[in-house]
Order: sequence, then structure tokens, then C-alpha cells
Amino acid sequence: MPLEAAQAAGITVMPATTPLKSALAEARVAALAGDHRHALALLLAAAAPEADYVDLVRLAKALDRIDLGACGLRKLRVALLASHTLEHFAPVLRLFLAQAGFDAAVSVAPFDTVAASVLQPGSALYRDRPDVVWLFATARDVPLAVAPGAGMAERDAAIEAAVAERRMLWHRLAEAAGCLVLDTLVELPAEDPFGNLAGAAPWGRRAMLRRYDAALAEAAPTGVVLFDLDHVAAVYGRRRWDDARWWFHSRHAFALDASGLVAHAASRLLAGARGLAKKCLVLDLDNTLWGGVIGDDGLTGIRLGSGADGEAFVAFQTHVRALKERGVILAACSKNDAETAAAVFRDHPDSVLRVEDFAAFVANWDNKADNLRDIARRLNIGLDALVFVDDNPMERDIVRRHLPEVAVVDLPEDPSGYVAALAAPGWFEPAAFSAEDAERSRYYADNAAREAVRARFVDMDAYLRSLEMVATVGGADPFHLPRMAQLIGKSNQFHLTGTRHGEAELAALAARDDVTLRHIRLADRFGDNGLIACLVLRRDGGDLLVDTWVMSCRVLGRSVEEFTAGLMRDVARAQGCTRIVGRYVRSAKNGLVADLYPRIGFTRTSETDWVLDLATRDTGWTTWVQLAPSSDTPHA
Amino acid sequence: MPDRADIVSRLETVFQDTFDDPDLRIHDAMTAADLDDWDSLQHIVLVLAVERAFGVKLNPAEVGKLENVGKMVDLLLEKTARA
Repeated sequence: MPLEAAQAAGITVMPATTPLKSALAEARVAALAGDHRHALALLLAAAAPEADYVDLVRLAKALDRIDLGACGLRKLRVALLASHTLEHFAPVLRLFLAQAGFDAAVSVAPFDTVAASVLQPGSALYRDRPDVVWLFATARDVPLAVAPGAGMAERDAAIEAAVAERRMLWHRLAEAAGCLVLDTLVELPAEDPFGNLAGAAPWGRRAMLRRYDAALAEAAPTGVVLFDLDHVAAVYGRRRWDDARWWFHSRHAFALDASGLVAHAASRLLAGARGLAKKCLVLDLDNTLWGGVIGDDGLTGIRLGSGADGEAFVAFQTHVRALKERGVILAACSKNDAETAAAVFRDHPDSVLRVEDFAAFVANWDNKADNLRDIARRLNIGLDALVFVDDNPMERDIVRRHLPEVAVVDLPEDPSGYVAALAAPGWFEPAAFSAEDAERSRYYADNAAREAVRARFVDMDAYLRSLEMVATVGGADPFHLPRMAQLIGKSNQFHLTGTRHGEAELAALAARDDVTLRHIRLADRFGDNGLIACLVLRRDGGDLLVDTWVMSCRVLGRSVEEFTAGLMRDVARAQGCTRIVGRYVRSAKNGLVADLYPRIGFTRTSETDWVLDLATRDTGWTTWVQLAPSSDTPHA
Repeated sequence: MPDRADIVSRLETVFQDTFDDPDLRIHDAMTAADLDDWDSLQHIVLVLAVERAFGVKLNPAEVGKLENVGKMVDLLLEKTARA
């Protein structure tokens, strides 16, 4: 039972029925009273991936009564294509997509019309203009039939043919729909007439499916994300996964009770692909990163490294450190004396984590809700980008009550369950990994060094000059295109228009001659900030329209805004435009840039539009950012 | 051994939870036509909820035969008697 396994691993699982009934009843009352946010929070808290199908469907039905848009969730249109029944799965997927931050519309193409839907240009699939198309294949869809004992050439040909079929579908979808394509790494069946040999012989069914999944992973281009269904099936338990009775009754390809696990994993993956993954892990220290209380037990008394639970704490630190190296920002938030707490990371020989691993280190006696607000402010990220980990249930409760936007991980009593408890919710699920991600936590640490220098300068201009900033500007080349899509997807605060162009959409825009895409990388004397801004500009007669302007808040207020304005003017002139038309579309989070256009000299012409007449703007903008000679920019 | 009235009463609770209507009453002749929400998807939910509530497992043929409440009660009487 995965439910019991999850509990054994220390993961909190909602027991079925009774708490569910009260959550449903409370949510109904809240929704009727118009408190949609509270109703939503109740339903989402009750939606455990391991819950059985009946409970999840009840939650999903209750979700239909809630206005998700009013709760600030992001719209997402998902189309499911399969040759097995998925109508039952759609509401559960919508539930877990809501948990991941989406107000999703999930459609299911008619049974067994995968190729027809994709290949017919006028099919319902394309009329719905989906943001995501999920080719939900299973092992039953992969032919790969070779005779027992088949030779190498025959095997390779069968696999190549099967992969070529997927390639053709990806290609057509990218061309016609310009959406994110989610394809599936298919699951290994539990049973086979050859038994063990099905995996051990190169021509065996399981060996072939493994090879097919690996070949798919190698073939997938950017814009195609692969969902590891086989992993989910294995986590659930393959024997239970193959629920033949519903296959025979109504063509359901996997156990209905596995729906939550599948929907949860896919939703987290889509959150990662769309920039809604969490960014920062905030950790308590005593009894979270080591056993005992450093202030009472001292460096030699805390449990870290030796002994059973000392090893468990090292394992947890190792996991946390791997997350940091993957690009998750770490922060410490502890009721402690700062110097005493920092000494563990500096002086304890078994501590895997070092003080430098933390982009923010807060140890004081204030309440944690205030400290979390402070951490978010210092790192310039939203509270909804934080995941909070604390062994103390009371602290978790305080944070849940005061900061509902913060994700809270319930640690079990036993530290050997910490890694599973942090990993299972999938808060940091990445859809892809780039060099940029690995560098991210360094960017934040470098920022702390910049702040320290800034404190020495009274004069802001002198400080900015001292940074020696150099910007490299370029377009949507294959290296930068995915990173540009990533930045557009995850930017909330410095995002003027709220567009969410995905990779495929950006590629389509880049191909148009009336559209100019620009990215900006910024380096300074403290290090490389990486890709920090991106522009989508469209020529419309004599106007250059600013479709998208996003910037990383890491570089806010460093005159990159003014540098960017100059860049837009250069593009406008090169395109023969006489005006730049910017738009500010207010969202819940972009109040930061409400006065950006007036600040750089644009004049308001309507509720949303701001115009700059180039004839009236002879002088440029004051900026301390130099253009790198290697930049690819138009010259006026 | 549970009697028919006992099964009907437990089954009524399952129906109320499944169709999200605490006032719902069931009777032997009741079919999918009598309830707006009783479609093929909801039928599956109903079967799973019945299985969970009564601790039984139904085979695909049995699932297909359960077109009215009376037959469902008969089957559950038979299944729980055997268990």
C-alpha cells in the first residue's frame, strides 16, 4: 500500500472519509459565503496524492464551485490525447494543477484519436488553443514487437521506428499549436510471459520498453517535456498499477486509485515548466539540520555525523545541499544566537552545509512569520516562492496561519524520514536543467556581497559606477531561447504585461520579421548575473509595441531599466519606427513597475498604454551599464 | 449477516456522498435515468465507493450489470453473505 508506505516514510497523508467530509463541508460554507480563497485552501490541503479516487473526485467536484481566477491562480489550457480512457482523470488533474497554482481547463480528445487530432490542422485540438498538449501514452501504445531472439539490427529498427512516430507528432504540434508538449515515458508492465527474461534478454518486452524510454529522452528537443510515468507506476507498485478489470470494463489504462499520484507528479512538472516551482528553501536549524539544541548542547553535544540519527541529519543536509547546487536558494530561519548557530556550519567537521550555502541567514528570537517576510524581502522574491521546513509543529502552524502563501513541509518525528518528507511534495520540480540554474544560488550570494559594498557608498551613483556593469545583448538563439522562456514564465514582479510565451511560442515569434526578441545578460565586478532581462518587441506601422518586458529583480534599481529603454530605442530606429508604445497591465504582483514608463519618459495615452515619441527624445537615458562589444544589437 | 434493509441504508449513504446530496433517497427501481449526475464516469465512482463501503470487489461483468439499485442490493447481499 503506498498510503502505508507514505506514512511509514513519515509523509502526512489525509486519512480517508471523515476529515475529508469536514473539509468538504467547511469548503462549501466558505464558498457560499464568498470566501473562495479559504474554500480553495481547505480543498487543496485535503488533496493528498495517495488519496483514493473516490475522495479525489469529491474534492475535484467541490473545486468546480470555486472561482479559481479570483484566487489568483494562473490560467492554463491542457489537452489530453490518449488511446485509453482519461475522462475520469481530467477532474483529478485539474485539482492537482490548482494545488500547483493553475486555474486549468482540461480537455480530453475523443478516445483513440491521437494521430488524427495532431495531424488534422483544423481539429478540435487546435481550435481550443491549448497551452499544453499531453500525449498520454502507455506501454500499450508502443508497438515494439520483435520476435524472441531477434538480432540487434531488428531491435534498433523497431525502437527507431517507434521514436520516429513520436518525433513526427512533436514536430506537428510545435508547428501548428506552438504549445508545450508533454510526452510520456511509458511504464513497464508487471507481468510478461517470459518472466525475468523479459527484462534480461535484449529482445524482451521490458528490455525493449526501457530502451524506448531512454531513446525518447535522447530525442526530445526543447519544448518537449517528458513525463516519467514509469517512475510513478513503480512508486505506486506495478502489480496494483495494472488493474486489468477497469481496462476490460472501460479501457482505463491504470488503477483508478493511482490517479492522484499521476496527476500530482504531472502538475508539479508543469509548474516547473511554467515557472511556478518554488525558489527558496527556508530551514530551521535545531532538530532540523542537526539533532539537539546548539545553544544548550554545544558543538560536541549535538547529534550530527555519528550515531543513527546523526547520520540521518547528514543525509538530510546532503539532500538540501544537492538542491542548492541544482539552483534552489537556501535560507536559515532559527530561534538562536546568530554566532552560535553559524559556528556549527563553520566548525562542525560533519556539517555538509556551510554558512556560504545560505543566501540569507536569520537567527534571532523574533517570530518566524516576520522572519520569513524579511527573508522574502531581502532576496527580492515573493512569499509564494518559499518552502518552510521546521521540526516544530507549533512553528509550522504559526506560519500556516499567518502566511498561507508559504508552502510548509510537515517533518515526521524521526529524522530518517526528513528527505522523503521534503521530496514527496515536489515543490522544486524542474522541467529542465541549465547551467543558469546551477549558478542561481551564487547570484543571490553575490548580491549579498554587493549589498555590503553598497552600504559603504553614500552616493548611489558612485556605487553603481563602482559595480562596472557590462551587458551582453542578443536574440533568441538556440542557447538562450529556453532561458528566455523560463524568465518570462517565472517573472511576476518585473513583468509589464503578464504574457507567458513558452519556448515554442517564442520560436514562432522569432521567425516573424515584424518581431524582435532581445535578451540581456549582465556581468559586474562581483560576478556574472546571467540572463536578467528579455524583450519581445513588435513593429506595427510606425509604432514599436512592447509586447513583453521582463527583468530579474536581482538587478532592480541598477539602471538596467534605463539601459533597456536605450536598447528599445535602437530597435525602434532600426525598424523605422517613430514611436515606442509600452503597456502596463496591472496584476496582483507587478505593482513594482507601475511607474516604470513615466519614470523613463513615456506619456500615458490610455488606461494601459504609454507612448514615447522618438522625435522628442534626443538624449538617451542615464545608465551605468556598458554595452559589451560582442553584443548583437541593431544600429540606428 | 446483514439483512436487506441494512444494505439499503448503507448504500443510501454511499449514494448521498457520491452524488453530493444529503437528502437523496434510493429505491429498488431507481436507475441512472433517475439521477442527472449518474453518467458513466459517476457510475465508476459509485462502484468504487460501494466497494470501499462494503469491503467487496466487483468483477467487470458485475459492474456492467448494476443498472438499478435493486440489483445492486441483491449483489451486495450475495457478496457480503459469502464474505
